[in-house]
Amino acid sequence: MRAKEETQARPATAGIPVAVSAWLVPGLGHLMLGRTRRALTFFVIVAGMFALGLYLHGELFPLNTSEPLTFLAGLAEIGVGLPFFAAKLLGMGSGEVTALTYEYGYTFCIVAGLLNMLIMLDAYDIAVGRKS
Amino acid sequence: MTSHFLVLTVFALLVSTAFALLMRHDSKEQLRFGILAFVCFLGSAFFIGWLMYPFPS
Repeated sequence: MRAKEETQARPATAGIPVAVSAWLVPGLGHLMLGRTRRALTFFVIVAGMFALGLYLHGELFPLNTSEPLTFLAGLAEIGVGLPFFAAKLLGMGSGEVTALTYEYGYTFCIVAGLLNMLIMLDAYDIAVGRKS
Repeated sequence: MTSHFLVLTVFALLVSTAFALLMRHDSKEQLRFGILAFVCFLGSAFFIGWLMYPFPS
């Protein structure tokens, strides 16, 4: 309740630059809001999980609409932001289906993307004053 | 890194840390929530593992 009283509501559009930055670079949204420690932790968690996923032979799924689950997995992975596109450009994430850790790998990549989406929403809420 | 338990532990640690930072504000509460989430992750994995034990691989 006290946190609600302390926050000041701002227009919804005020949070858009923060949200976009938070999506592109994990933790950047919180950094823009002056929460350096949190931003650094989020960056380490999301980037670390994504890198670990690629190391474990995870796959970066294409946005293939003919296969709904593959499409959703790809959409979740895009949530990581720039690291996803960088990995794609570098030819990483082809996925080694026969590898023992293949399932772990893509799970790490998907969860990293989903976590970054939550982090992005958190940064947006703070930027528009919904959250302290 | 082919140890299933190690991968599971790293996953639980990272996700519970992120959840603790997102869902709690106070440092003490974050620590408590993070530890609870981490233990729940590992505990549920052990529980499901035991449930699956009788089934052939």
